[in-house]
Amino acid sequence: MKRGPALMTAATGLAGALALTGCSTSATSAGGGGGGGLTFMTFETPALTATFWDTSIAEAQKEVPDTKIKKIVSPDADRTAYAKQLQASGQFPDILSSVNPKDFSAAGLLKPFDQKWLDDNFTDPDGNAIDGKSYIPPTNSQVIPMIFYNKKIFAENGIEPPTTWDEFVDVVTTLKKAGVTPVEMAGGEPWSAAIPLSGIITADVLGADPEWIQKRYKNEVKFTDPGMTAAVGKYRQLIDAGAFDKGALSVSYADANKQFLDGESAMYPMGSWFIGQIPAAAAKDYGTFLLPSATGKPIVPFNTGGTTAVSAKSSNVADATKFAQAWSLSKANLKTLIETDGAFPMLKNVPFEEFGAKVTPVYTDGFKLVTEDNTKVSAFGQVNNDDALPPGLVEQFNSLAQKLFTSSDVKDELASFDAGWDKAAK
Amino acid sequence: MSAPTTRPVRTGRPTGSAASAGTAPSTGPGHSAPRARSRLRGRSHLIGAWLITLAFILPVYVAFVSAFKKQDQIVSNPAAPPIPFTFDNIVNALSRPDNLVQAGLLNSIMVTTATLVILVPLSSMLAFYISERSPRLRGALLAVFALGLMVPPQVVLLPIVTLLRSIGLANSYAGLILSNVGGGYLSFAVFVYVGFLRTIPREVVEAARMDGAGDLRLWWRIVFPVVRPATATVAIFLGLWVWNDFLNPQFILGPLQGQTITTGIYVSLGAYSTDYSQLFGIMFLAAVIPVVGYLVSQREFIHGLMSGASK
Amino acid sequence: MPSRSLRTGRSLGLAPVAWIAVILYGMFLLYPLVQSLFLSFTDKNPLQAGSAFVGLANYRELLSDDRLLSSLLFTMIVVVAVTVVANTVGLLLAIVLNRSSANYRVMRTLIFIPQVLSGVIVGFIWRSILTQNGLLNSALAQVGLIDEPVAWLGDSQLAVLSVCTVVSWITIAFATVVYTASLQSVPQELYEAARMDGAGVLGRFRHVTLPMIAPGTTISVVLCLITTLKLYDVVAVLTGGGPAESTQSTAFYLISVAFTDNRFGYASSIAMFLLALTAVVSYGVTTLLRRRETNL
Repeated sequence: MKRGPALMTAATGLAGALALTGCSTSATSAGGGGGGGLTFMTFETPALTATFWDTSIAEAQKEVPDTKIKKIVSPDADRTAYAKQLQASGQFPDILSSVNPKDFSAAGLLKPFDQKWLDDNFTDPDGNAIDGKSYIPPTNSQVIPMIFYNKKIFAENGIEPPTTWDEFVDVVTTLKKAGVTPVEMAGGEPWSAAIPLSGIITADVLGADPEWIQKRYKNEVKFTDPGMTAAVGKYRQLIDAGAFDKGALSVSYADANKQFLDGESAMYPMGSWFIGQIPAAAAKDYGTFLLPSATGKPIVPFNTGGTTAVSAKSSNVADATKFAQAWSLSKANLKTLIETDGAFPMLKNVPFEEFGAKVTPVYTDGFKLVTEDNTKVSAFGQVNNDDALPPGLVEQFNSLAQKLFTSSDVKDELASFDAGWDKAAK
Repeated sequence: MSAPTTRPVRTGRPTGSAASAGTAPSTGPGHSAPRARSRLRGRSHLIGAWLITLAFILPVYVAFVSAFKKQDQIVSNPAAPPIPFTFDNIVNALSRPDNLVQAGLLNSIMVTTATLVILVPLSSMLAFYISERSPRLRGALLAVFALGLMVPPQVVLLPIVTLLRSIGLANSYAGLILSNVGGGYLSFAVFVYVGFLRTIPREVVEAARMDGAGDLRLWWRIVFPVVRPATATVAIFLGLWVWNDFLNPQFILGPLQGQTITTGIYVSLGAYSTDYSQLFGIMFLAAVIPVVGYLVSQREFIHGLMSGASK
Repeated sequence: MPSRSLRTGRSLGLAPVAWIAVILYGMFLLYPLVQSLFLSFTDKNPLQAGSAFVGLANYRELLSDDRLLSSLLFTMIVVVAVTVVANTVGLLLAIVLNRSSANYRVMRTLIFIPQVLSGVIVGFIWRSILTQNGLLNSALAQVGLIDEPVAWLGDSQLAVLSVCTVVSWITIAFATVVYTASLQSVPQELYEAARMDGAGVLGRFRHVTLPMIAPGTTISVVLCLITTLKLYDVVAVLTGGGPAESTQSTAFYLISVAFTDNRFGYASSIAMFLLALTAVVSYGVTTLLRRRETNL
């Protein structure tokens, strides 16, 4: 009889443990995706901080007061990959911020926005349209990339912003000789590593033929074609000329921002969102220019931005859409995005002054590129519309940019990129 | 019932003043000069050993002191001691609005404890059961369980996620704990226990059986106490592995039900990629439980490992 | 015989528990393995509707997949380098620390700490040390050894070296403890006897230490191989597989094909390949080392 209790203890221990796990399931499933809660996947950058997301969520929350919004933060800036990972493990969020919609729309995972709502509220309602449907509200526009430059360093070396490719290479050589890192590159993160290459391809290939991506989808052109090979060759030319720091591939986006703002490098090809990272007090020291194209014609690498995509599989698509719309139209949110993320707003019914945003001359210069009449083409690998790359190809392109940093075999790398495209687009 | 007196593990080791393998200096009795020389050699060996050890754990030291330094102190002089000392990093880590650290620690404690509480009795009973089978059946069962030692978790991850979804346990703690219990960890525990049981004299079990004890009671009264060193090994190793596991919590649990501390760190890495002080503060809080646990239990742990390694 | 019926009666006590364990194991290890094998013959992709049986197409793709090949090459480099370095250094450290005073006990305790920390933390600590503006570069610059920062994580070759170093660091901690335990189980009389026979330091090491610690060597080497073959979290944090996928381990590539490219079918064929590789390597090396144990 003495031994009985001991055994009982073991048995209760086991049962208790099972009960414990059982408990937590029932407790958590009630609070999760089921009932009145929606999940919103965000990502954090130096500009879009946790506070920004919390405030903006609280702001849009007012439109759907009965729905609880739960924030899920992507572990890195590559939120598209994280969203896919969540999808694969059965946790696709109800609302997603700034993902690449083409990766999900083919599987019917995203809910397009109502056309009338788009027409009523945005200056370019079809800016993000894929096959005529918009999965991301076209709230703002971006230039990806513009070349930021340090005016002091340019003055010290007697350089002017270049207007042709040869002048650009000369600038690089001069700076290199002067012991300044000519071009900053955030090569440590795949997305930011791809920005310079993306810029050259947009200026030269899409600048010469804005239909190039569509033609690639129809197999009328290839990455191994001479035009593309030449453009990518220019990237290698820059690397060989010592334009970038040798260790650029270990520099994170945040580190690159800091190095450029600390005057350790002279130029920085980056999306217009970098405007928000330049402190207002220092803004007079920085200028921007467009990467010179092969034809010499100024090409604006354009992207329609926007944040909130809505899952078609959401337990409450109506509320998720309402939240997404409220988030996208919120003046307060856009004001923050204008100030910290350099966003150029495209709301139809809100004049710029109404946001009450404080902007710098660098911002105003950038905004002109968007509003003025000029040649705008889709920024290669950066857009959310029909010119977006096939699913998964953005990641491969980013990795290609890193690979080409050390490999000079342009033709070979582009051939395998062609193969990757064919596999993904079939 | 008399407790078994044979301890399967030799706890003490033959002690000589210097018993290192192959390098033991001969200390001849009575000769004072060689003894002085050997003492000197012992001293320099000690200093050398300390230098090597400290160099080896320098990264741990850097991480530790960085938890108590400000950002510019960390960057300008990483190896310097934390003077002036600051608790800001720890306080900041604990006062995050999302409660990442506290919630993560609680979740990790819950998952680790539940896994161990189920896995330890389960695997030791299973091991005892296997040990009592015929050699052929035992061999077959062990072969099947050997598979679990080898299968990389990435290989079975995807089907496990699908399986859990189909039985309604997707992204739940129960799902995570069950897949911990049923996966490769079980194999590890079974092998440690079976190996250990082999060293226990058959008479101990048989004598108890003669007394008429049933197998379950036999396990509880005789086997479980005897295999205590093995239990220590299993509990410590699995505790560490489950606590430090990244892949399963990341994919099986996912972010919806809250993070474990290990996946929580991973998320915070993205947000503060260059804010070392903030990150080292979080790291410190995440590491303090396993490290202290290890330091407290390391005697048991080394014993357990010895019994395993000498077999 | 009455005792026989009695025994079967008693066995029932443990059988249900044992079966629970076996069923769980079947559910969470054996079934997923079979499922993975099955998926490897399909083109399942959750981002595309439906999935079809594609026969051996995935396996044919394996043969021509450059990214798989380079991940395999990297994994093999790490496996070989780490196994050799960790076991050599681990054994040397064990010999140096194999003394009985309190000092040495403390040192042995400290040496194991890298193994106690999670791969995510280890990855982060080393990233902060090795990154461009990291602690190592600033230390080297202060001493005047380098003029410009070394791209420990930004250069393809250096990044491979860095990963090898970090993984070795973790594994040395483990190997040292295993070798220490093995050394302590060597009876001192054997050393005395060898000394009587006139064996020197190296002779004793070769003829007493090595054969006596052979089982420990087997354990350390095999565990080292198995853990390195599934290398994932250290790489995820330290380099993210970069730059340009140069530090992408096969396990890391498998996860990215499954969860980023969402090609479940193809990922499963990589999984099968990784499993076969692990099985062959660990069985092969175990057999080899066991044979060596008896020959020594």
